[in-house]
Amino acid sequence: MIKLHGLSKSYRTDTVETIALNNINIEINQGEFVSVMGPSGCGKSTLLNIIGMLDTPTSGHYYFMDEDIARFKESRLGNIRKQYIGFIFQSFNLIDELSVEENIELALLYHNIGGKERKQRVEQAMEKMGIAHRAKHMPGQLSGGQQQRVAVARAVVGGQRVILADEPTGNLDSHNGQEVMNLLQQLNDEGTTIVMVTHSASHADYAQRTINLFDGHVVTESIRGKERLVNTAVIESTTA
Amino acid sequence: MFKSYVQLALRNLLKHRLYAVINIFGLTIGLMVFLLGEFLAAYEYNHDNMFSARDQIYVAGAIIGPNINIGIDKADSVHTALAPLLDAELDDDVLIARTIDREMVLSKDNDNYLQRMHFVDKEFFRIFDFTYLYGDESSLDQKEGIVLTRDMAKKFFGRVDVLGETVRIKNSQDLYVTAVIENLPKDTHFNSSIILRKSLDIIASIDMLSDVTNFEGDWFNLSFNADRTYILLPWNRNEAWLQQQLSAVYERHAPPFAKEFVTGVKVYPLVDVNTFVWDAAGLPIIESVRVLGLLVLLIACVNYTNLATAQNFSRTREVGLRKAFGATPMQLLTQFLVESLTLASVSLLLALVAIEMLLPVYNSLAGKHVVLNYVDALPMLISVVVVVALLAGAYPAFLITRLNPIDSLHNSMLKGRKGGLFRSVMIGGQFAISIFMLSIVLIVHYQNMKVEEESHIFPKSQIVVMDNIGWDEIKPHHETLRQELKEIDGVEQVSLSSTVPFSQNSNVIKVTSIKGDESNVIAIDQLSVDYDFFDLYGVDFLAGRDFDQTITNDAYRDSSSQLNVVINQMAAKKLGIENDPIGKTFYNTTDPDRGGLEASSLQFNVVGLIPDLNIRGLYNSVQPYVFFIRPENHVRASVRISADADFQSVLQKIDVAWESVIPGHPISRSFLDDIFNDVFIIFESMNQALAVFSAIALDLALIGLFGLAAFMAKLKTKEIGMRKVLGANIFQIVRLLIWQFSIPVMWSLLVAIPLAYFASNIYLNFFADRISFVPVLIGVSCVAGILLSWMIVAGHAIKIAGANPIHALRYE
Repeated sequence: MIKLHGLSKSYRTDTVETIALNNINIEINQGEFVSVMGPSGCGKSTLLNIIGMLDTPTSGHYYFMDEDIARFKESRLGNIRKQYIGFIFQSFNLIDELSVEENIELALLYHNIGGKERKQRVEQAMEKMGIAHRAKHMPGQLSGGQQQRVAVARAVVGGQRVILADEPTGNLDSHNGQEVMNLLQQLNDEGTTIVMVTHSASHADYAQRTINLFDGHVVTESIRGKERLVNTAVIESTTA
Repeated sequence: MFKSYVQLALRNLLKHRLYAVINIFGLTIGLMVFLLGEFLAAYEYNHDNMFSARDQIYVAGAIIGPNINIGIDKADSVHTALAPLLDAELDDDVLIARTIDREMVLSKDNDNYLQRMHFVDKEFFRIFDFTYLYGDESSLDQKEGIVLTRDMAKKFFGRVDVLGETVRIKNSQDLYVTAVIENLPKDTHFNSSIILRKSLDIIASIDMLSDVTNFEGDWFNLSFNADRTYILLPWNRNEAWLQQQLSAVYERHAPPFAKEFVTGVKVYPLVDVNTFVWDAAGLPIIESVRVLGLLVLLIACVNYTNLATAQNFSRTREVGLRKAFGATPMQLLTQFLVESLTLASVSLLLALVAIEMLLPVYNSLAGKHVVLNYVDALPMLISVVVVVALLAGAYPAFLITRLNPIDSLHNSMLKGRKGGLFRSVMIGGQFAISIFMLSIVLIVHYQNMKVEEESHIFPKSQIVVMDNIGWDEIKPHHETLRQELKEIDGVEQVSLSSTVPFSQNSNVIKVTSIKGDESNVIAIDQLSVDYDFFDLYGVDFLAGRDFDQTITNDAYRDSSSQLNVVINQMAAKKLGIENDPIGKTFYNTTDPDRGGLEASSLQFNVVGLIPDLNIRGLYNSVQPYVFFIRPENHVRASVRISADADFQSVLQKIDVAWESVIPGHPISRSFLDDIFNDVFIIFESMNQALAVFSAIALDLALIGLFGLAAFMAKLKTKEIGMRKVLGANIFQIVRLLIWQFSIPVMWSLLVAIPLAYFASNIYLNFFADRISFVPVLIGVSCVAGILLSWMIVAGHAIKIAGANPIHALRYE
């Protein structure tokens, strides 16, 4: 479903060029649960942003459902994004001025869906995430865990087939973190593809596959605990 | 501590330059407009300080009857017959003097000058203490005396020490200069009466006026803003006492016909006279200037409040730190108020500099002498700065110092909607004021345009009007003058009449449909014309005929018992003869006291019918009119010049013709256009002043919105980012932001629309014929206000909406 081939991303200022991602080759199949790990600044979020079409690569190819979208314009990317991809952020990114149901409905507003159906789908999503009783509350009145559940509901309410989660448990205590992971697991079981950036090894274990990044390179990939070295040059250069 | 506050305030201004410039610019403009309005008002309200008895001097004024249609309900003059009667009945220590304003020919050797002169009772110089260069207050005790100002002495004699020199008045009487006084300053009601600027520079005795003209104090005429009756009270008498005396004398002596026109008399303090004309016309100009100035200042204060509230959000961390280190809320409040005080003071200084630069321009344009007296103004300036600083700075200061330290350190205000309602109300308020002002400007403009358009019923740019035709020494030459003028190449027509269109005087005659039926008297405006009047003014007849020289009854003679007349449709209707009025008759009412057409009984035969034309024009309603020929009423001549003629050369020939027929008598002529503009310019200047005010107000509101939109866009970065991630396109985001700002602007309409409607009525009520599309104009202003606010917000919105959502979401 998602295939990155020789993909690089660099940021250039007047004097310095910073390489965020360097020659990345990743393939993610439909229905897979993949976690991305690595130290701060290794390029995890940049990778997620490019996968989520919020950012474009400097070079290389990005095949989304067999179509190379690396050079697509923002408006075209926006259309693909809103149809297929849902986002979950560490800081929830709920809009403080909107109630729980309005926040979730936001994801349907730009989909040409009638008001009645929107309402129905929002109710279903809230039911599924166990937050129906909080429908009229404002984000400020909810706990972190509840807020993240609202964010998850928002990410899937449009029937998105891919969820990109950027440290979804980073702002939560262990109990709430666990609950959110269970929700993601449940979504994955129902067929949703999930790509999750995380610092927590235990949460990464929910995934079928973990990709480890270091300085913009994929260094290892492990499938349920079995690690496979991908790029020895980087490991050697850092241990030397 | 205070020093550090000021220092910090200045550093903050430097750090946030854009906000500082917007704030200082806004407050400077606001303060400048407000203070300028206050200074101008103080100037107009505080005239005549040079006269030591100012506060004991009063003017006798008239209360105009409710059915008299002349556009004002009171006057600062009374009939000239009243003063002698009052003088006879009051104690000797009450001084009374009339001034009569007339144009006269004054000659020195062989030079003739047409001069405006004031003829006064001798007590005039004891009521007003002028500065004498030569002579003294007894100068007009003899009627042959004449008093000149320094400039007039120089004009006539080339020097100032001219006591005993002679000038000749009306080529008949020698006058001796008995005093020379210093030129009057500009801030006396004699010089600047706001509308008609008549200066007091040549003064002679009323007794002399009676000698050279047929003047005697009478109950017929009332000259507004020109002839006045002044009264100086001794210190033991007051206004109420004078009012009582004046009313009693008027009641006892005024004849019934005078009381119909002037229902009562009222005493006014001298200090009210300068601004009286606005008051009488029901146009509160000076108060309007002050209110508009205040509104502009308010908008500027709101700008400051809004921007400061917004800008302070970026300083929550600073406040948190200060609190954490022990600052009390009071100390923080003081700190932020010192900042607004600093800013207001900087703005005040800039405003004063601007005013100092503007005043000379205003003074030379308006012929005034407004000067800034800092010593007198200091208490007001200090209080204005303090009030502005408090008004504008208190809310943002309060809002930010209220936070608890932890929230402040976490910049928590950025997350909330605190102050949102307040900001919306402020924006709404600003736009309410701006849209209100814009509506008024449009309404006044279109009403003025209507007045101007309607004046084109007469070819006013082609018509030259000559004055003084009614003077005794000119009357015998009427026919010769007419012939000479008609022979000029380029002159199409010449006509003599008792008045001309757009001239603001009214002369009614009372008539009845049935002879002697005193119970059904109708008042109709009368206008004496000649055989060529209707042709000259391009008036077409609806029925009947124009006057004819061969028909005896077409012109009035002393022995006439019948007179053929032309009437307009309205008169026909009033007389009940609107169906086929030609050949119908009506009758005058007789009043031997009044003379003229009312001296003896007369039958009017209608020979012609013309359409209803607005002869007086401007703000007046169309009146019923009767036209007839009575040459002795004629005081003005109209000359119509062919449109394709060389006007300059025709005018020269007119002057030559006049000089040849009436030598030694300078011509006094003007275009009908100018007569119209004399009054119209008042409405036009009002509109221009309003436009300036409203442009400033709207600009300030837009600048404020610009600053606030910048801030709000920043505040909404996360929301915008999230919406984009969820699939919103740029257009949808821009629409959302614009809509959010539109809500307060929409609410403002609820205030602006009724306010504009009622305020415009104050102006429109002054006019008889009003524009009918006021709601449309208010609608246009509303749409303009909304569109402008959209444009301002859209600029920011497009920038923000076009940004990459990643940055927006990383914002926190």
